Amino acid sequence: MSERRLRADPAPGAAQTRPPEPRLALDPAEPAERRVEKLLRINAALIRRVEHGTDEGAYALFERAATLEEEVRARTRDLGQAVDLLNEANARLEAAGRETEAARADLAGAIEAVREGFALFDAGDRLVLCNARFGRDLPDLRPLLRPGLAFGDYVRAVSCSPHLALGAEPAEIWAARRLRAHASGHADFNVPLAGERWLQVSERRTATGGTVVLQTDVTDILRMERAERDRLLSDQARTLRATLDHLAQGVLSFDERARLVGWNRHAAGLLALPAGTLRHGEDLGRIAEALGPVAEPLRAWIAGGPGRGTLSTEIGRSGRWIAVTAQTMPSGFLVAATDVTAERERLGAIREVNETLERRVRDRTIELEDALAVAERALATKSRFVAAASHDLLQPLSAAKLYLGSLDFATDDPRTAIAAKAAGAMESVEAMLDALLHIGRLDSGRSQMHVEEVALGPLLRRLRDEFAPSAEAKGLALRVVPSSVVVRSDATYLRRILQNLLANAVRYTDGGGVLVGVRRAGAGVRVEVIDTGPGIDESDLGTVFEEFRRLRSTGEGMGLGLAIVERACGLLGHPLEVASEPGRGSRFTVGLPLAAARRPLVLLVGAGAGDPARLEAVGCDVIEAADASEAEALMGQLGVSPDLALTGCPVAARRLAPLPCAPLPEPVTRAAVERIARPED
Amino acid sequence: MDGAATLSRRRPPGAAEPRLGRDVVLRAQLRHDEPRALERLRAALGFEPLDLVLLFATPDADPATLAREAARVFGDTPVMGCTTAGEIGTGGYDEGQIVAVGLPRRHFRSAVMAMEGVSALDPREVAERVGRVRTGLAAASPERPEAFAFLLVDGLSAAEDRVAGAVAAALGGPAGMPLLGGSAADGARYRRTFVLHGGRASADAALLALVRTDCPVRVFQTDHLVPTETRMVVTGADPSRRIVTEINAEPAAREYARLLGRAPEDLTPFAFAAHPLVVRVGGRHHVRAIQRMEGDALRFFGAIDEGLVLTLARTGDMAAHLSASLEALSRDGAPDVILACDCTLRRIEAEGRQLGGALGALLARYRAVGFSTYGEQRGALHVNQTLTGVAIYPPPGAA
Repeated sequence: MSERRLRADPAPGAAQTRPPEPRLALDPAEPAERRVEKLLRINAALIRRVEHGTDEGAYALFERAATLEEEVRARTRDLGQAVDLLNEANARLEAAGRETEAARADLAGAIEAVREGFALFDAGDRLVLCNARFGRDLPDLRPLLRPGLAFGDYVRAVSCSPHLALGAEPAEIWAARRLRAHASGHADFNVPLAGERWLQVSERRTATGGTVVLQTDVTDILRMERAERDRLLSDQARTLRATLDHLAQGVLSFDERARLVGWNRHAAGLLALPAGTLRHGEDLGRIAEALGPVAEPLRAWIAGGPGRGTLSTEIGRSGRWIAVTAQTMPSGFLVAATDVTAERERLGAIREVNETLERRVRDRTIELEDALAVAERALATKSRFVAAASHDLLQPLSAAKLYLGSLDFATDDPRTAIAAKAAGAMESVEAMLDALLHIGRLDSGRSQMHVEEVALGPLLRRLRDEFAPSAEAKGLALRVVPSSVVVRSDATYLRRILQNLLANAVRYTDGGGVLVGVRRAGAGVRVEVIDTGPGIDESDLGTVFEEFRRLRSTGEGMGLGLAIVERACGLLGHPLEVASEPGRGSRFTVGLPLAAARRPLVLLVGAGAGDPARLEAVGCDVIEAADASEAEALMGQLGVSPDLALTGCPVAARRLAPLPCAPLPEPVTRAAVERIARPED
Repeated sequence: MDGAATLSRRRPPGAAEPRLGRDVVLRAQLRHDEPRALERLRAALGFEPLDLVLLFATPDADPATLAREAARVFGDTPVMGCTTAGEIGTGGYDEGQIVAVGLPRRHFRSAVMAMEGVSALDPREVAERVGRVRTGLAAASPERPEAFAFLLVDGLSAAEDRVAGAVAAALGGPAGMPLLGGSAADGARYRRTFVLHGGRASADAALLALVRTDCPVRVFQTDHLVPTETRMVVTGADPSRRIVTEINAEPAAREYARLLGRAPEDLTPFAFAAHPLVVRVGGRHHVRAIQRMEGDALRFFGAIDEGLVLTLARTGDMAAHLSASLEALSRDGAPDVILACDCTLRRIEAEGRQLGGALGALLARYRAVGFSTYGEQRGALHVNQTLTGVAIYPPPGAA
């Protein structure tokens, strides 16, 4: 290897690039004959060499070795590689062999070390191997347990073994059962052996279709389990006995033939049984005699047989009450006696208290009813008086106003001013009386509320018109945001509510403005009246709605406005809220329910005004008329007033005004129709 | 190696300094005329158990005495040695020395086989013996994966080709255990050469050591010759004595001298070394070195025959070539030692060119130890004018 590298350039063998031209350098000074003679001899030597050269001799050996060396050298590397590969493969094979052998030895050792009996059958159900413990409990089987043993033969041999304690089951039946279990591929069962021993047999399929059979001696486990169960039972019995004795009840337990099998400490005492009555096996009959009054129902109950329910009775004896119950048990029945004297006494006391309380409540209720009637009468009288007084006062007041109006002084007459002031005062009184009258009506419940659909748009417009002058006079900006919603309320009282709120706002606001707006809130709307007035202290918020309550004296108003608002809202069920920030302003909010969306009623006037089917399809009710006069007649007959009229004829439209009129909108939608019906939107 | 270190402090004057530290192969050398030379060499090698001791001894020392002493001093440890044409040691090209090389048991297992009467050798018998020894050694030391075979053979037996051929065949040929060796020498006298083993110095004999080791080894051969275009044909020869009587139908010495442009009386050993002859076999050139002039005839170091076509070669730059070769061996780490069989013609040429000191220093620097030979064996081939050796590297894991 290395010498090849070392033989680099200067070595003769490596001088391969361009070998020098061979030259046989004879002495040129010699005569030609001599040179020819020499060449002939050289020739002869070369021929001899060529013909015999490699036959024998040291040089021949050298030459062969060198030739061989060269040839072999060329193959050495390949051979070396092949040998390396072979060696590697051999080493691997050897290692694999060793591993296999080690694994086999490990497996055999492991199987032998297992505490259970272990046997492996191959996929053909032939025994492959088993450990020494396998079949140890069936010694007659040992000679059979050799590799190659068929599973069926094994099972048959087991079934016939005298060491197996099959009881009544014939060996063939057991063997058949055993083989079925084997065929299912998964078996776990216990085998009884002679001498009260038990063997647990488990069978599992291996991945290669073989079967592993494990035998575990479970005798000790079963015995321990049994002993444990016995111990538990006796423990339970003791616990039960102690529990029974600690019960406050008396318990008697009878078997199905009504013979006493058990009782506890309290039984004899509670049932006042003479000593010696309670004996094992004592018949109920004799015990019942001693029981006295309970004996009869108890006998009847026992006679009822297994289908009977639960007997429950009581014995009263020398001031004590004993409850006796009898109920069926899985094997017999149970009689229990409980001292219920204390309970009975407690129940009696409670009953007494209840009766007293009920009587008192009844008396008090009557008193209160009387008081209520008196109060209602007084209230009604007051309301009637106020109403009557207001009404009666209004008559002379109207007369006085008439008289005052009839006074006709000259313009420059100083009395003119006096008369005007008197008229003003009277108007104030009139307004006050009017308000009182209203409050009286509201309080007495005599005000009839007519809840109907009320369109807020026109209502708010009118309020704006009404208050615009007074707001303007005070330099306030009054803004009423238009709205198209329709609510359910009483039109008159709603108007009054908003009027009063707006009047208050304008009255108490000295700078800034008043805003009235409607905003949607859930299923309803909230009408808000917002001012930039002085606001209300938090402590006063609870009282602003009381009668004659004026937070500020402005010389105007009577302090009845908010009282009316509150009462009307209360009667209409409109939630009323007030929020205020002193120095910034107040906000009064009235909650109103939205009117149910109504199908707009459309009046179609004139042929070709529109297709009623299309209008109905978008949710409108339609009545049709050929012209304006037929439409008027129809409305009269039907007693309906349409929400709008659709007509292409301007003459009819003029005639039908103030009904909103328009040609059929395109496209036809519910919203387009409603826009025509409520142009203020 | 505390023993060696301690010993070196009490080293007797003239004893070669044993190398300290973690040497794998142990070595020591001493002038042959030092009193109790072998005992002192034994001590200088230290107390580590040795598997084999190699001795390269100047022919000035009496070979028989040396062999006897060696057997006594080294006791059970096999000794294998030979006479030389100069030793290679700590001084490079040394002379008059006994150079000892110890292969410690820690890293080496070897078996030495002696062959007597090699001029009438039965190759089959040799092959069988080698095979047995080889198998036994392999079985005894499976944990030592590296191996080489070291041959010492009588350099005047004219049987080197036969011995090398037989041994190489038994070692599995070129693909088998690598074989290297050197021919025992007799300085410049060419009278008798000996191999030393088992308490005896034998002529017409050969020694073969099969060595297994856990140290990586690399067997190598290097020369520095360049063939020229000049050819000559052997027209008369005595192959059994390796004597060529005629070249180009002229007396051999005269014709060789004429081709060199010299007078026949100017054919000095240096001339032979500087103008070697090579034969072309198997696509390579192999040196056929001339040992000396015998009358008009030329005696060769290796096998010759009539009808051979000899090519005149010239030599390249010895120092540069040797340096490159040794450097190549150290490419993957410096060898612990290089066991060297260096042809005597190389030493003659080097000294003739005033390069002896430089080449010796190179050899010493690369920790070469060995001797100047009458020929080198590499596999089945016996050749001349090469440096043939085995580089032994520290075992894997050694610091």
